[in-house]
Amino acid sequence: MRKNKLLTLFAVLVFAFLIIPLVIITVTAFGGESAITFPIKSFSLKWFVNVFTMKSFRTSFLTSLEIALLATVIAMIVGIPAAYALARSGMRGKGILKSVFLSPTIVPGIVIGFVLYQFLVLTLRIPVFAGLLAGHFMVTLPYIIRVVGSSLDQFDFSIEEAAWSLGCSKGSAFFKVVLPNITSGISAAFMLAFINSFNNIPVSMFLSGPGVSTFPATLMNYIEYNYDPTVSAVSVILMAATVLIMVVVDKTLGIAALAK
Amino acid sequence: MAFMTLNNIDVFYDKKKQVLKGLNLEVEEGELVSLLGPSGCGKTTTLRVVAGFIEPQNGTFTLDGTDLTKVPVHKRNFGLVFQSYALFPHLSVYDNVAFGLKIRKMDKAEIDRKVKNILEICDLTEFASRFPHQMSGGQRQRVALARALVIEPKLLLLDEPLSNLDAKLRINMRVEIKRLQKKLGITTLFVTHDQEECFSISDKVAVMNQGIIEQYDTPEHIYRHPKTQFVARFIGFENFLHFRKEGNLYCTDKGAVFAVDTDSEEGALMGTIRPDDIEIAREGQKDNVLVGTVGVRTFLGKSYQYEVNTEAGKFLVNTNSQYKEGEKISLYLPPEKLILVKE
Amino acid sequence: MKKSSAFIMVVPGLVILAVCLFLPLLRVILPTIPAGEYPLSSYVEFFTDEYYLKIFLRTVKVAVITTAVCMAAGVPTAYFISRCGKKWRGILLAVSIFPMMTNSVIRSFAWINILGSNGIINQFLIAIGLIEKPIQLLYTDFAIIIGSVYLFLPLMIVTVAGVMENIGDDMMEAAQSLGANRLLAFMKVIFPMSLPGIIVGGILVFTGTLTAYTTPQLLGGNRNMVMATFIYQRAMSVGDWQGAAVIAMIMIVVTLVVIKGFNALASRLDRRGGNHA
Repeated sequence: MRKNKLLTLFAVLVFAFLIIPLVIITVTAFGGESAITFPIKSFSLKWFVNVFTMKSFRTSFLTSLEIALLATVIAMIVGIPAAYALARSGMRGKGILKSVFLSPTIVPGIVIGFVLYQFLVLTLRIPVFAGLLAGHFMVTLPYIIRVVGSSLDQFDFSIEEAAWSLGCSKGSAFFKVVLPNITSGISAAFMLAFINSFNNIPVSMFLSGPGVSTFPATLMNYIEYNYDPTVSAVSVILMAATVLIMVVVDKTLGIAALAK
Repeated sequence: MAFMTLNNIDVFYDKKKQVLKGLNLEVEEGELVSLLGPSGCGKTTTLRVVAGFIEPQNGTFTLDGTDLTKVPVHKRNFGLVFQSYALFPHLSVYDNVAFGLKIRKMDKAEIDRKVKNILEICDLTEFASRFPHQMSGGQRQRVALARALVIEPKLLLLDEPLSNLDAKLRINMRVEIKRLQKKLGITTLFVTHDQEECFSISDKVAVMNQGIIEQYDTPEHIYRHPKTQFVARFIGFENFLHFRKEGNLYCTDKGAVFAVDTDSEEGALMGTIRPDDIEIAREGQKDNVLVGTVGVRTFLGKSYQYEVNTEAGKFLVNTNSQYKEGEKISLYLPPEKLILVKE
Repeated sequence: MKKSSAFIMVVPGLVILAVCLFLPLLRVILPTIPAGEYPLSSYVEFFTDEYYLKIFLRTVKVAVITTAVCMAAGVPTAYFISRCGKKWRGILLAVSIFPMMTNSVIRSFAWINILGSNGIINQFLIAIGLIEKPIQLLYTDFAIIIGSVYLFLPLMIVTVAGVMENIGDDMMEAAQSLGANRLLAFMKVIFPMSLPGIIVGGILVFTGTLTAYTTPQLLGGNRNMVMATFIYQRAMSVGDWQGAAVIAMIMIVVTLVVIKGFNALASRLDRRGGNHA
């Protein structure tokens, strides 16, 4: 199709808007000045060194990894069978059940954090870490239900019936035939859930305590009291990791897997 | 007792809609029986009851004298071929075929021997290491068949297995299925909505309508002597006449008189005849004659089909002769071709 | 599948949801609606308090403008992506997805660098002599809005592009063969067909902005609070837990109303009658 020049120009501007701020961050990360300047006047890698010397960054990074990983794994253990039951059974009230499973998406993250902090941490005296995990479970579960669910919707269940007819019990047919054929959906769900949990801030705002702080929250805290290129350096490192993840996803699942 | 019997099977969906209504069917060992009918008639449901996917609310299913009604699918040892083939996308042809044997924990050498043997029989040896998505429809179909047959099933169940193939391949495959079925002597149920396919392949045909079997007989007999209007329509009888019985003759409301040679059941008062079997009346012929005017003509290749408007309604007539629209003609319905069916 | 086994598969999830979401929600929110003569008095108080109302209206204003801008910028861009060749489509989709995968702290931080008093815009304007002292760009509603657009525009683009990709070129060609020029063909065929996607995108952007915490916190500061930052301030700085619960309830209700409203709009506009949301 012939391209419309006006439309092309418009799209170029939109993409410029999306990219330029990130380019600016990247550039400032390599500046030698103690405050952020753009364009930079001297080149230095000291901010990158600084990132790795900060203990709060390191511990909170590990906390975030741990929380995101645990929350995603638990959500998968609980969510994949649920998604399967929702796709497969002729249960009554399936639609309602599905919206119950997706309901964490309609409760604002800050509210989830707020009520969990009040109920689990203040009332039930559950450790903050467990509360944080529960909050991030609410972030990850909908991704598992939705993405695994949509790949089950496209699954030809006569394949599963074929396995039964060949002597497979229902349980073993699920593991031998269903799971291997929805692995791309499961991987996409895992990536999305993990990344969104790792990046999430609102849920974690209330659920922090001594020694329990997520990486984005620490970063945010740092920004509110400091204005130096350390955060730019962190951003560059994180963006590099994101690019790496996207390349891997593109090679294995196709980039569209992350567009869900 | 027959080898396989379905006895008074009732199946309801959602407690309201009854899909099978007291269905009975008997199949002898080694027979290939087709379930023929339009979509929604219950033929696939019947097959799924036999396979064990659906547990009927009432009735029993027995095989070789054993009641299997409550035996789960995976313990029935039946071979199934699905409309979509349902090959395992993540397994090679070899592993697809070996799947059922591995589940049975057979020893490796034995599995290998059986798989290779069935691949040979199904003409698939060279494709063993391919994956389903690398194969054509016909090849996938043969893999599905091989996978179902290798477990040496007590019954082979085929659910519209040919409907995704193009016309030519379909004919080849049905000959192939028939050949394999006879060679292995395996009792087979075949679900289809295609009457030509069904007649060509089956030892017996069960024509289904609204959850019951309307007629169960050999293809030849059904073709020549449908018992009900539904069966007649489904297998190509296009022309119908309401009769009154007077002595040995049959009359229409308008007074035309017909003799009928074929046997019929008590109370069968609807005459029917195929478009091919209607002749053009000779001059002076009076009995078994209907007069009408020629309507739309379509070219069928070997002949023309005319729509003829008669006093008894629209008739379809196939003939080589040429008529103009509006022309008056007399149709002769030979008594040996005119069939009586129940409404 | 047997009902009992389906039941076993959904129960663990339901139990966790009940204990870790529904129960805490009820425990926190129910006390804001006391039995008695005036169950809704806390809410009446909220909406009659000038300061509170201002925060509520600011939140809604930011969400409305952000959604409108995201639609206006996102829909044509999505259309552009959907009409590109396979290679460019992949690249542009990746460029749109990349910000979505990047932490919102980083994305807001980028705008601090741009809008701050020592930021790029002020440096530039001072350098060319247009202004003498830095102008206040950061910690304004404008900053929140531009940060929110920056945050949610990719989501809009990706959502709508996904729907538009499934509309075949033949639709456009058919419309053109019937005499519509390209703009008209877009407005009469492509746009109506992608409305379900645009509405889904709208829901995501609107509810996302309505409940966002990071961007308003970093770009709005303490003087330009929105509901999400307000709830935190009420609870953590002031210790007014009851007040925070009231705000939480209002946020949930507004979110639900917005989703229902958009969906109702979608089913009215979608003449094919299917449920695409």
